[in-house]
Amino acid sequence: MNEKPLIDFQEVSFSYPPLSNNQSNRAPIPVLQDISLSIKQGEYLALLGHNGSGKSTLARLCNALLVPAGGHVFVTGYDTAEQAHQRPIRDMIGMIFQNPDNQIIATVVEDDVAWALTMRGLPASLIRKRVEEAMQAVNIYHLRGLPPHKLSGGQRQRLAIAGILALRPRCIIADEATAQLDPLSRQEIIDLLHHLNQNYGLTIIHVTHLLEETVQAQRIVVLEQGRIVIDGRPADIFSNLSRLRQLKLTIPEPIELADRLRKTGFSISNEALTVEAIARELSQ
Amino acid sequence: MSEPIISAHKLTHIYSNKHGGTLQKVALSDVTLDIARGSCAAIIGITGSGKSTLVQHFNGLLKPTSGTVIVDGIDIGAKGADLHTLRQRIGMLFQFPESQLFERTIFADVAFGPRRMQLSRREIRERVLHALDMVGLPPHQFAQRSPFDLSGGQKRRVALAGVLAMSPKVLILDEPTVGLDAEGRAEFYSYLKRIQDEGVTIVLVSHDMAEVATLADRLFVLHNGLLVMQGEPRSLFSQSERLGQYGLATPPLSELLSLLRTHGMAIPAHAFTLDEAFAAISSLHKLTERGERHV
Repeated sequence: MNEKPLIDFQEVSFSYPPLSNNQSNRAPIPVLQDISLSIKQGEYLALLGHNGSGKSTLARLCNALLVPAGGHVFVTGYDTAEQAHQRPIRDMIGMIFQNPDNQIIATVVEDDVAWALTMRGLPASLIRKRVEEAMQAVNIYHLRGLPPHKLSGGQRQRLAIAGILALRPRCIIADEATAQLDPLSRQEIIDLLHHLNQNYGLTIIHVTHLLEETVQAQRIVVLEQGRIVIDGRPADIFSNLSRLRQLKLTIPEPIELADRLRKTGFSISNEALTVEAIARELSQ
Repeated sequence: MSEPIISAHKLTHIYSNKHGGTLQKVALSDVTLDIARGSCAAIIGITGSGKSTLVQHFNGLLKPTSGTVIVDGIDIGAKGADLHTLRQRIGMLFQFPESQLFERTIFADVAFGPRRMQLSRREIRERVLHALDMVGLPPHQFAQRSPFDLSGGQKRRVALAGVLAMSPKVLILDEPTVGLDAEGRAEFYSYLKRIQDEGVTIVLVSHDMAEVATLADRLFVLHNGLLVMQGEPRSLFSQSERLGQYGLATPPLSELLSLLRTHGMAIPAHAFTLDEAFAAISSLHKLTERGERHV
């Protein structure tokens, strides 16, 4: 068995250079400080934090879009700072963003899914097979002949995911990928990420500022001002709501309700975090 | 009820192909609604339901194919309607308004609108300072800074100040907090409340139900161009099944309560806030305890 973690941060720090020339006398702004974090193959990890907490920077360090200023990031043992490793690392760790339009290139859905494979010069029969499988995995096969602009926001986000799946990655990073979607499409994308995690063993790193999106994750990492302040299981993290409030995170109302009821003697387990689970326990 | 500030009567809008084709799309069909002066109304519905088409009638960007829309006494479909005046009274903030900032200083950006209203310099200055105060960006700190050095939430508040400086009677907001984090949202909401307290009517286009539940006095649900439901948030959100038919999700707490009802718990239909839910469930619990003791 390969015991190496998929992604391994060792005492990583990062700062962006000052914005413009007339500020060059200013010191660079530190964004991440002393991050050590190890992510295993098959984990579903939620990376939570406010705007400006450093979570997108951390996500970009995972697949060598950025390289650390101090410390090292290893992906399956390869240092992301070495240029020769960067292409294979980016194939292994795919990423989707807030706005899927930024990564949709072709004028027809199936061409777009095939794009990266075509660029790598793979044989046509292999490309066709992988593209079909990727489209089926995210349920856009029936849309394959349409131009992407005819798709809804949620469907376009699924198209972006298919483009990554076609490369057979080991991990998908979703960086605020649901922020621009309506609630139902948002739930669809979250369900899809869980489906890919459970049925294909893909590692998922779900970057969000919404506590409610993290309840189904296996592990939650909270960033605040460039440092990891919480790392643990949802059931443990949600049993200390005052800590979450201190971090100015909005507690989902059903969890707040369960917490108050628990304090007045109701038996609701810490594991009940979804609306369905809380309802089930309350009605027993 | 006092005279509504916005009143649509049998409003129908059909988009047609300008090049004489036969392709037509009915975007709104027979919509009748009133929005009370000083209230906060939310228009909700899935993508393509007609929300944007509807609000674009409120400031005369679109005219009805049939029916009437009267906004603050101006019939926008009438020949010779004074749309110039109308658009000064109806402020509109589009999605991601921070992308419209362009001036070198925050002051200049906010002053852009009022400068085109032929006001005196003093009046412009007063309006800009007041607008910046309203959105929590104290002028002495912010007026001379570049709008591009601000955080996302602050930039959005500059854009809002730019609209407020026109002294609108109605403020139309299209998905105003998409992309803001919890803190940015909470701040934005508190400024909207202040604006409403000054007597401005707010029309909110949103698909964030938690947002709608916090802000709006009245909801209008659109589906396929039809007005299918309207009422107070409290009464609408207790009908989660019907909202689901229109592709809308209720806020998580309302969803929990309706699930408990399907599990056979007698949660009153009016329970809506966290406190009300807590009280309802606690009292049910006490009742069953007492019942068991009597047996």
